[in-house]
Order: sequence, then C-alpha cells, then structure tokens
Amino acid sequence: MALTQEDVRGIADYARIALEGDELAQMTAYMNDAVAMLEPVLAYNLPDVEPTFHPIGDLSNVMREDAAAPERDLARDAALGNAVATRGDSFRVPSILGEGEA
Amino acid sequence: MRELKEVLEDWEAVIGLEIHTELTTLDTKMFCNCKLTHDDEPNTHVCPVCLGLPGALPVPNRRAIESIVKAGLATNCEIQKHSMFYRKHYFYPDMAKNFQTTQGPVAFCMHGRLDLEVTGRGAEERPACAFGEAEAASLASASAGAVGLSADLSRRADSQPAPTGADACAQNDPAPNDAGGTALAGLSSYDTAALATAERREDGSYTVPIRILRIHMEEDAAKMVHVGGEEGRIGGAAESLIDYNRCGTPLIELVTEPDLRTPEEARLFMEKLRRIFLTLGISDCSMEKGSMRCDGNVSLRRRGDAKLGVKTELKNLNSFKALHDGLAYEICRQAEVLEAGGEIYQETRHWEPSRKRTVVMRTKETADDYRFFPDPDLAPFDLTDEFIAHCAAEIPELPDAKRDRYQRDFGIKRADAEQIAGDPACADFFEEAAAGLAGKAAQTVANLIVNELTGYLNAAGAEVTLETCGIAPAQVASLARLLAEDAISSNQAHEVFTLMAETGDDPAKIVDERGMRQVSDTAALQPIVDAVLARCADQAQQYRDGNQKVLGFLVGQCMRESRGQGNPKLFNELLRASLS
Amino acid sequence: MARSFDTLTAAEIAAGIAAGDFSAAEVCTAALDAIAAREPEVQAFLQVTPELAQEAAARIDAARAAGEALGPLAGVPLAIKDNMNLAGTRTTCASRMLENYESPYTATCVARMLAAGCIPVGKANMDEFAFGSSTDSSAFHPTNNPWDTARVPGGSSGGSAAAVAAGMVPLSLGSDTGGSIRQPAALCGVVGMKPTYGAVSRYGVVAFGSSLDQVGPFGRTVADVALAMDALVSGGRDPYDSTAQDVVPGFVAAAASAEDLAGTRIGLVPAFMEAEGLTAEVRAGVERAASALEAAGAELVEVDLPHVDAAIAAYYVIGPAEAFSNLARFDGIRYGYQEPGCANLAQQSALSRAHGFGDEAKRRQMLGAYLLSSGVYDTYYYAAQKARTLITADYTAAFAQVDAILMPATPHAAFRHGEISDPTQMYLSDMYTISLNIAGNGGIVVPVGLGEDTGLPMAAQLVAPAFADERLVTYAAVIERALADAATGAPVLGVAPACAGKGGELA
Repeated sequence: MALTQEDVRGIADYARIALEGDELAQMTAYMNDAVAMLEPVLAYNLPDVEPTFHPIGDLSNVMREDAAAPERDLARDAALGNAVATRGDSFRVPSILGEGEA
Repeated sequence: MRELKEVLEDWEAVIGLEIHTELTTLDTKMFCNCKLTHDDEPNTHVCPVCLGLPGALPVPNRRAIESIVKAGLATNCEIQKHSMFYRKHYFYPDMAKNFQTTQGPVAFCMHGRLDLEVTGRGAEERPACAFGEAEAASLASASAGAVGLSADLSRRADSQPAPTGADACAQNDPAPNDAGGTALAGLSSYDTAALATAERREDGSYTVPIRILRIHMEEDAAKMVHVGGEEGRIGGAAESLIDYNRCGTPLIELVTEPDLRTPEEARLFMEKLRRIFLTLGISDCSMEKGSMRCDGNVSLRRRGDAKLGVKTELKNLNSFKALHDGLAYEICRQAEVLEAGGEIYQETRHWEPSRKRTVVMRTKETADDYRFFPDPDLAPFDLTDEFIAHCAAEIPELPDAKRDRYQRDFGIKRADAEQIAGDPACADFFEEAAAGLAGKAAQTVANLIVNELTGYLNAAGAEVTLETCGIAPAQVASLARLLAEDAISSNQAHEVFTLMAETGDDPAKIVDERGMRQVSDTAALQPIVDAVLARCADQAQQYRDGNQKVLGFLVGQCMRESRGQGNPKLFNELLRASLS
Repeated sequence: MARSFDTLTAAEIAAGIAAGDFSAAEVCTAALDAIAAREPEVQAFLQVTPELAQEAAARIDAARAAGEALGPLAGVPLAIKDNMNLAGTRTTCASRMLENYESPYTATCVARMLAAGCIPVGKANMDEFAFGSSTDSSAFHPTNNPWDTARVPGGSSGGSAAAVAAGMVPLSLGSDTGGSIRQPAALCGVVGMKPTYGAVSRYGVVAFGSSLDQVGPFGRTVADVALAMDALVSGGRDPYDSTAQDVVPGFVAAAASAEDLAGTRIGLVPAFMEAEGLTAEVRAGVERAASALEAAGAELVEVDLPHVDAAIAAYYVIGPAEAFSNLARFDGIRYGYQEPGCANLAQQSALSRAHGFGDEAKRRQMLGAYLLSSGVYDTYYYAAQKARTLITADYTAAFAQVDAILMPATPHAAFRHGEISDPTQMYLSDMYTISLNIAGNGGIVVPVGLGEDTGLPMAAQLVAPAFADERLVTYAAVIERALADAATGAPVLGVAPACAGKGGELA
C-alpha cells in the first residue's frame, strides 16, 4: 500500500513544509523507500510485550518545587532578539486568515 | 424561534462541558520557573522553556500535580497512579513548540461525579417527561465516546468509525489508538445502570448525578491580539501579536460525560465546580479574567430516541449567564433547523452575548489529527500512596459538607448555607460572626451576609474583596444583635450597615450616636398613637368600618410622629388595640 | 624549546598550567594558531570564538595568580558541537534555519565543561540538525577527515571528531542519537563516548530524538575522555532535565584502574562479527582489541542479541517521529529563518520551513509526521517501542553473562564524500551503533590502529550495562595501553599525520 503523491502532499501541508517543483515526486519516492525499510519492525507488534516509551525504565515522578528562579528569565530584548518580526513588545505574525479559525 | 421550555418538551438536549481552569494560586508555570502573571507587560515572564527555544526541556511543577490530584479527589474521581504526559501537535503560534504538553488516554483523574441539586425556577427547565425511566434510558445511551466530546483525545478517536445506536453505550473509552487497550486495562468504567437517576420532588426540585470523564493536566497557550480586524477577531486582521507570558501556565481540563440536559444544569455544574476549586485554593476561578473557561457541546435528539444527534461546540461562554444563555440559544437554534428539515453540522460556534446568538467559527469536515505520542522529555508518573494521602490531607471541608453542617448546626436556610459555604472567605466570615448562635439569630447573620455584605461588595467593584473591605465579623454580629433585640428595624439595618462600612465603627455605637435606636417602650409610644388617632379620625373610622388597609397609613403617621424611632411592630399592635 | 600544543593531552595541559609551565593564554593562542593553520584543510568549525576563548583563558590565569584552586580542565581548549547553546555564540545546528540564531542561554553540558576550566574555542560542524552520518548535510560546508581529506569524518558530530583528530583541540563535545559520537570517533581515529541515556544533561542541546539523544566527549586518549566525563556529571543530576540521573564522577579513577582483568567476562556477538558488509580490516581491528582484553585476563564469551536486527527499523520509526515533534517549533516566528513577503501565516510557515531546512531534515520530519498520524502510529510506533522493550531485554540478558560487550563501531572505514548518496543506504551504516540508543545504555569507541587495506583509522566499540559507564573507560584504557607505542607509551593513533605539528607552537 504505497503512499501516493496526494498522501505526501497532505502530510507536507500538515507538517508546514512546502514541496516545490519535483520535490513532491522525490519525497514520495523517499517516503516509500523509508517505509519499506521499516518493515522488520511490524513483526514486533506483539500483544504480550509492553512498549518502552522512556529508556532506562525506573525513572518516574520527576518534579520540581514551585519556586521562581529569576535567573532563568530572559530579558525581553533577549526573548525577542532572535525574531525576524516583532511589533512593540510582541512577536508578530501575518494574517492568520485561512488557518481555519475565526 | 420557540421558547426553550417548549423546545425541551419535544427535544432532549444532550450537553457536555469542557472546563479549563488555570492554577493561578501557584507561583510558577507548569514546566518552568517563570512566575505566573495576568497583566504584566508582554513577554516579560518568559524563559527558554516556555518560549520553546531550541534545547529547552520541561520539568513538572510538583504543586501543580498536587493541585490536580486534589481536584480529582474533591470531585470523586479515581486517581490514576500511572499516567504520562503526551505531546499534542498543532501548528499555531500560541503554542511556542507547536505542540501542547498534555495527558494521554489516562489522566491523573478519571471517572468522577458531582451531584447537582436543581431547585426553584431553574428546575422547571427540565420537563416532566425527563425523569425516571426515560432518564435512565437517556443516560445509558449517551456517553462521551458516543457523543464525540471534543476532548483532546477523543479527537483522535474521532477519526475512527463513529459508533451508532445501541453500540454507543459501550463506547465511552476515548483512548487514542496508541493506548492499545493496555493503558486503560486497569480502569474501571462507570456502571450506568447503577447510577441514580433524577427524580422530581414535590416542590419541583431534583438532584441529578453528573459524571466526570476525566481531569487532565496541561499547559495554557500564549495570548494573541489580532490587529486591524473587527473587534480584535482574526477575520480581516492584518497581523497578530503574540505575548507568551501566559504560555505554560498550569491548566487543568475537566471533561464531563454528556449527562447535562438543560442550560440551568450546565450553569449549576459550573458554579458548583467553581466553589469546589475555590475551596481547594487551586485557582482564583475568575471567568472574567479567563482563569476559568468553559466550552459546551450540545446535540438534540427527539425525546425517546437512543441515537444521538450531531453536536456543535460552543465557545466564548465566559460567564455563568453566557453559559446558560448561549446553550439555551443553541438548543433553540438546533431545534428550529431540525424542525424545518435541516441538518446540524459538526462545527464550532461562537456565542455573541451582545447580539444574543451563536455564529460559526469553523466547520470540522475532517477530524483533526494531533499526532499524539508520549512525551519522551518527561518521565512517567507512578504516584505513591503517600503522595495521594498527602494531597487528601490538604483538602479542606468541601462546600457540600459545609452547607449541610451550616444547615444542621446553625439552622440556617439551605439556599443561604449553599451560597455562604461556596466561598471560602465568606464561610470563614460567617463562622466567626455566627459563632455560638443558632436558629433565628444565626439566620439573621446569614441574611446580613447574603444581602447586605454581598450587595455592598458587588457595588464596591472588583478591587474590594471580603478580605480588604475592612468589615469585621464582629461588626456584623453586633448588627445582628441589634436586629434581634428589635433595637433597629430591618429597614434601618441597611443604613447602619452602610455607615458601618464607611466608618468602621461598631453598629451599636452608630445607632446610639445617631439616636437611631428604636423605641419599644409601650408607655412612650401610646401617647403618639393617641395623638395620631385624634388627628386622623376619618381614617380611624374607616378602619373600624372594615378597611384593614388603612392601618398601614396610620402606622406610617406614627412613625413620622416618632421621627422614625418607634418600633413599627409595636405601633401596629397598639393601633389595633386602640381601634378595637 | 618550542613544541606543538597538539602533543599534549588535556590532562597534561591542565597540569602544565597549574604548575606554571605555560599560561592558559598561551595555550589558547596555540589552539587558535593550530585552528588557523589546519582549518582550511579540515573545515571542522562553523564558528571560531577567539574572544570567548581569550576571556576564559584570562580568567584562569587571573585565578591562578590569585592563588585560587583551578578546575581539573583549567585551560583546556574545547570544541562544542553546534547544536549546543553557548551564550555569546550562534547555535546553528548547521542549518540555514538557524544561521543567525544567537544562543540566549548556555547548555548544562557546556556550562559544566566551562566550570571545570575548559576554554571554548568554537562551534563544530555537524550534519544538519544531527541528521546524518557524514557531516556532508551541513548547510554551510562539509568537514574533511583529517586522515584523508577526500573522505568524510563521519557524523553527525563530524566537526567535533575532526577537530580532535586534527589536533586543533584535545577535547570536544558531541551528541549521539544513533551513533553520532561513536561513528565519527571510529572514522577519525579518536576516543568517543556515548554515556548511558540520562547520565549527561540534555538541557540546552537542540533535540533530535529526545529518547535517544545523549551528550558525550571526544578525546585522543581514554584518560582525557574520562576527565571530560567527570566534568559532565559533576554537580549531580541537572534539575533542568527531567530525564537526567545522578552519576558519581568516578571516570578518572576508573581509567586509572585498568590493570588486571582476571574475572572479567567480555561478550562478543557472533552475528555482528560475521555480518554482511563488515570489512575484514574492521573485523581484524576488533579482534586486536579482543586479544588485548584477553591478554589482560578477561574471558571472552559469545553472547546473543536476538532482536537487535529490528534496531534500525525501530530507530527509523522513533527517531523521525521525535524529530518531527522536536522540529515543529521551527516556524520562523520566534526565531529562525522567516520567508519574507508572505501574505498569511500558513504560507509563511510552510515556506520558512521549506527554505530553512535542508533535504534530509525535511525527509525525516515528513517521515515522522506520517508515522505519527492516526492509524499509522499504531502499526509502526507502537511496534517500534515494543521492539525497544525486546532489544533492551536482550542487553539485560547478555549482561547477566558478561561485564561488557565488544563489537565493531562501523562496518567500514571512512567513506568518500558523496560515496553514499541514497539516504536509506546511509541509514544502514549505523547498524552497530543504533541499538544502544534504542536500549539507552552507554558505549565507547577506542582506536585500534590503521586498517591494513585502507590505511585509515580502525576502532572497536565497548558496550556496558546502563549506568555502568565507568567500566567502559577501564576496558578501553586496557585496549589503549595494550596497543600503545612500546617506546613512548603514546596511543596507537595520535593526531592525524597531515595535521600534526602544523601551527600551534607552545613557547
């Protein structure tokens, strides 16, 4: 069940990666090669094996105290300093129209 | 459009709520040490973690976890010892990482329940046909999975074939497909058959259990301001500005089962939950400031139908009134569409209080795919018995228990007890003011708190709270004593209260200094009565001829004669005696 | 008498500065000179930071003058992989996306190395966002293997490995998600170590696969790597990394304790030694290491890792899935490349990401976004995490029989630039390193001389149980000493010959 260019275009839209020119065809070929390479893992979907989401399994309940650490705060200039577009004290994005929210 | 009451005779409204509460009483954010803030300059409480900078990592706030466990215990949830944080992906700039850290199929709190007492006019919204067996059938066929609550995780499940009809009752497992059944294996689910159903009492009131699907822990998003569009809406906006101060604020989301059947029940649920959270001290629960927010899901089905209708999701229900009125409007709108042979679309709608209508925000043609997976940066949780016991030990007396105690020990009216017990500061105030009192004396204190004190605080504005207003419980106790002794009339009480609030003086002092003390001495009042009767012989004759109403006029004359200080009840008695 | 700074180990530099043989400023100048002389051929750096280095050196000299105690790495020049934040430098991840990104804070691993006295001389080249095994996917330039500049240094930490192999620095930091420290260490003929997942803080290291990434050091000797490891774990568990754990700094002691290995059992995996694609010279190198361990008294035992054949597939499910998630934040809004002139946000995000990321970064994210999608997730992601359980259990079972496992690090010596062009073919070259990232335990790569066919560096890899990383330096030190030059005691491979002694004289 190979991925079609239409499938790949849908994933690219979701992942916010514009595919231009022959990139769609190349990406589709890559995706199908890569997925084929993953085949061996399918044999391991065994009902009696628990998945390991976190390696080194005995770690749990890691929490911190509810205490401020002002030294971690970024000065506003530093916070905004790497942004290409700002307005006043805020980050700026262009019109969100077409994002599906009103 | 038809009236709500009329619509609900024909249609059953199936309502579920999603309630987000910011844990505003914490000092710091969910996963970083930034201070919580509501109105500081933009982007002044941000760090690499909440700004989603490359390389930053989250560390959970212990008190946030304690808070949600308390919220779960106080709402009769099962506390899940084992749970994980998940990443929920969506590209939107209010989430700095383009994913939200939230919980998976197993939340810290699962399968809770709150009982709602619905009384008075609000109880009339539920029609007579919605009790007893009909209600039991209704509950069994409505459940979270079936109605497709837009809880984060069921969105993932949305893409699965929707269950229909009789299958629906088995479908209250909103687990994403990753759960593979194993993650939820240890969870008991509810037994709908064993759930008490609403029965109407003679006075029209009823009690209904509302099931809570889950309460999960997550982080809040940044604030966005849309510039150049109409009323700050995105439509037409040329650009949007982002302030990440709020981003990462600890947030708990409670999802109810679709057990609510009227807008009033929804409003009461929200009020009750707010009282509980206030009592727990986990949030300021301000709907106005947005620290407590509610979305409603509503669908209609013909009375007696098992198959659920298509639901819409309502946003901008940011007051108790908006919650009630928005749902009421939407129910009537859906009924009108359906009765005209139309179709309801699964969509998100925005309540516009000024225009009293809901408008479409977005239509969900396809289910969102949030690419949930367990967050590898956060270790799993295996809460210990000690941790849960520690949380339980910190839970104060909850509003229902407090209400019952006030009714039992102080003998005050249940409605007043409910109101006072729901606000922790108010409850403390009452207990101090009414210490050692019972029955009528305690009720007088309750009346002063419910009417005078609440009215005063409401009029004083948001900056003045019970703690900062300067009124002491001893003053209210003293005022209640003056009323009990008939030293002042209940009309005078309002004036004395206002003076007391302004001056900070003891009410007894105010009354004495201003000569307001009521005269209840028969010997002093009889001459006034005699004088009035002599002057108003016509009216006296009318009374004797059977016109009872004229007595009020005569009492008024006596009060004037006594410069307001005579006891009106005593004047009344003396006049009747003199005229008989 | 002038001598090149590259003949000194990190330990010798720190000792020389402490003794007053030379100053930190002199070492700093020598390192910057060596970089200037050798960098045109090697191109290991994306940014050289002379001001930061000189400031750090001046602080150390001032501290010594004031009689203050010096850190164990005082005055040792350090190269830092460019996915690690260091305030005052750009952190680009070798990507156009972050070409102008100024680090607003410093990663814990970097801060700890600096606290131990290291002087930061620059940010090292890498595969873009650490996706690769050649460093050729850097958006800015490739890095050349100092042993043969027509060949790759390996990757993704290729710049860090090459800088050490070329003698520009005695120590560097890399990160290892599927072999990104161990494979370039092997290809460049230096020691490289991936500690157990959680041993070193990941805070401030730009994430690729959060459950796989681990930071570790490169050095020319096992003792230097041990010094760096002690510095990295000193101070205990980093409170800013929820997955970090406490490790006692006992690496220097463990490296020094390499004596008699009687009673030690070292595992060999027959399937690995006989694998298709493993070259004879690499196998011979691993056998030299095995003989060295045996000669020191260790017993060699065959062990089996039956599920390890699923490791590559599991890795290319988990890695891309986590990478998609971790790289979602690069949308050009808060930082990073932003496409100019876009009418709306959706277009701006899609074009910023399309033009900011290179091909491999886009491929991995696309694969990850697909693998996490509804329905597909069940089939692949869940299966991969179950395979992870089985692979971890394989290692646990093996370590019930042996103290460590010896295996190749790579199937072959360094390949030529462009020699492996098919991405999925490139993925297969990680066959010996990937299973450790899946299971989480640590591994070390130690040079075993030059290959008889290629004349290029050969290496062996040792693998230990989780949080038994100090064993790795002990056994690696045994191998190192057994293969050392009998006359001088110098390790079997030093600075790459074409670079050795070029610039960097220490007066």
